[in-house]
Amino acid sequence: MKKILAFVLCLALVAALFAGCSDSKTPDEGGKGNAETIKVGLICIGDENDQGYTYNFIRGRDAATEALKAKGINVEWVTKWNIGEDSSCEDANIELAEAGCKLIINNSFGFEDYMLKVAPNYPDIQFVSCTNQASWGDELPNTHNAFASIYEGRYLAGIVAGMKLQELIDKGEIKAEEAVIGYVGAFPFAEVKSGYTAYFLGARSVCPSVTMKVQFVNSWSNATEESNAASALCDAGCKLISQHADNSSPATTAQSKGAFFTSYNNDMISVAPAACLVGTRIDWSIYFTEIIEAVAGGKEFPQDWCKGLADGAVVLTELNKDIIAPGTEEKLAEVEAKLKDGSLQVFDTKTFTVGGQELTQAFALDSDGDFVPDKEEAVYDGAFHESTVQSAPYFAIDIDGITLLN
Amino acid sequence: MDEKIKTPLIRLSKRSQSSLSPAAAWLIRLGSILLALLLGCLVVAITGNNPIKAYGTMISGSLGSKVYFQQTVKKAIPLLGCALAIAPCFKMRFWNIGAEGQITAGALAATFVARTLGAKLPSLPLLLIMAAAAILGGGLWGLIPGFFKAKWNTNETLFTLMMNYIIIGVVAWLQAGPWEARQGRIAQFDAAAQLPRVAGIHCGWIIVLLLVLFIHVYMRHTKQGYEIAVIGDSIRTAQYAGMNVGRIMMRTMFLSGAISGLVGFIIVAGANHTLAHDVAGGVGFTSITVAWLSQLNAFAMIAISMMLGVLTKGADTLQTVMNIPAAISDIIIGLLLFCMLGCEFFINYQIIFRHKAGKGGAEK
Repeated sequence: MKKILAFVLCLALVAALFAGCSDSKTPDEGGKGNAETIKVGLICIGDENDQGYTYNFIRGRDAATEALKAKGINVEWVTKWNIGEDSSCEDANIELAEAGCKLIINNSFGFEDYMLKVAPNYPDIQFVSCTNQASWGDELPNTHNAFASIYEGRYLAGIVAGMKLQELIDKGEIKAEEAVIGYVGAFPFAEVKSGYTAYFLGARSVCPSVTMKVQFVNSWSNATEESNAASALCDAGCKLISQHADNSSPATTAQSKGAFFTSYNNDMISVAPAACLVGTRIDWSIYFTEIIEAVAGGKEFPQDWCKGLADGAVVLTELNKDIIAPGTEEKLAEVEAKLKDGSLQVFDTKTFTVGGQELTQAFALDSDGDFVPDKEEAVYDGAFHESTVQSAPYFAIDIDGITLLN
Repeated sequence: MDEKIKTPLIRLSKRSQSSLSPAAAWLIRLGSILLALLLGCLVVAITGNNPIKAYGTMISGSLGSKVYFQQTVKKAIPLLGCALAIAPCFKMRFWNIGAEGQITAGALAATFVARTLGAKLPSLPLLLIMAAAAILGGGLWGLIPGFFKAKWNTNETLFTLMMNYIIIGVVAWLQAGPWEARQGRIAQFDAAAQLPRVAGIHCGWIIVLLLVLFIHVYMRHTKQGYEIAVIGDSIRTAQYAGMNVGRIMMRTMFLSGAISGLVGFIIVAGANHTLAHDVAGGVGFTSITVAWLSQLNAFAMIAISMMLGVLTKGADTLQTVMNIPAAISDIIIGLLLFCMLGCEFFINYQIIFRHKAGKGGAEK
């Protein structure tokens, strides 16, 4: 009995060794040698399989690598995947620092606390916390924040949505008051509120009768809840769905319910070809290229960074030309030009009201840690100026026309 | 032997206790690990990578440098602590799969203390009160299903499992509600409420090593440990011997929950310095595997939890260095655990092939 088992095991061992050896090919590890090579760490909350948030960072990473190669800078990326927003993030930062990375980029909001525990011990290494806000103002010179003015992209996506709804009204398929947008939001935070408000204002600029309902799922990534929220919004009469959460499930739900859709982080036309009009995303390669070039050249880079449409840091994904309303492209080109040259403000205080009143005053930052903004006036020159005093969004005002369902 | 009974090609029969020498048993265990590694090779090869290099990366990525080793130990600490916690329950054949919740309850209690007394007390008394609160919190969370089992003979498997979701829900609510600091997260603890580091790793490793000794002595050399063993073998015997089975169950569940709670304290005060609803992170379930693979032997748990630490840290490095997806690493780890647990079957049973059973009878 033992002999047979031993024999079978031996046989399996030999067979598999051969199988292993014959199938294996040693992948060539990067192009070493020529020009200068800089080691950069990237810590991700997920991996490319999310086809949303982290995937968008990986696209940025790869595009930046190409752009830098053209400038004679080789980047060796060390990417840590599926890191939790807990002490494993601290470990990942230490590991990358010890591995010789000159720059370490943390991609998720919840990473910052742990990054800031590590940064003081490595003053020669630059640490970046994307989408967060506690690093730029602290006493450490080697910690940074970055975001992009995604509200501009959302405003444009809102225009595509609004034109579609107006088309439906003009064709008589829906009544003017039935032009309702449903928005699946992650959390009732400034980042989300700023996004859907910009989106709504974009839509209303081309479809005056539009209103919006927002359903929060209280998670950045929960495919089931996001789908449920989209479904509930469709049942509540929404004709078009948009989202600020990580998954593509609202897109498929919208399609199955016969509603239209616009996406975030990624082009979702492939998953919902009959519903998805367009999407908007941050192109992180702009930022990555800029800071890696700075680090490679031994130069400093801004502790807080925010660029947008004008610099290509915020982009619209491909338009779904089969279903968008006629004239959309022309309208987009016109608005985009105005946003770029500054003649159009997304949060123009003449275009919205708060409790029936025009907005005349709002603070951007919180100075005493109670999470209620109390300094840095954001309203001036007839507009609320988003992402100018810091990169992370701070527009957290509930405007008229948008109903929060929960 | 003359009867024409059709014997199946392969039969299984239970081994008698003495038929397999310990050496042979270990040979089977070793064989199962080898088999798992070979199956893992196939999986890696399918992804187009070199399996030998992959295993090398896993080992060097978990033990190859001081930083890696510290991380591996950090991953092993809660697994070891929690395996120790559930060992008495499993010895008693009380299927406590609620360690996840008991960890969370302990972490919640410790966090409550850290938040209310954080700025008012010096570090040592504060940490001691946090630990005591965690022991109490985890213990009570374990006592509830123990009480229902003792009083009304409820199903402890379902009961302990469901208790997990309740406490995780409570923390999720606190995290996004009353205790929220910024965007759904609870603020980091005061420096006083953080466990000091010894040899570069939070001192939780010393606590769990002391727990190993405690559980070993408790299970092997105390009356209570003996009572647990008797109940595990036969409740009737225990009753006949005059033991108060219900009381012992409640006591053991309190102990188990208390140790899990202490693990929760170690996680929040040592590693994360804050509380989140996923504070247990599956440790409560993975540690069941640790306990089972170790045959409930406290010292073996050190080795097994370190092995799992090596595997998870190694898997993490695998994705970073060779870009092998996390899912593939999960498959490899799953295969390994499956084979290691599965081989116990072959230690307890033997396979008998037909011709051997015939013993010169039937054909050939």
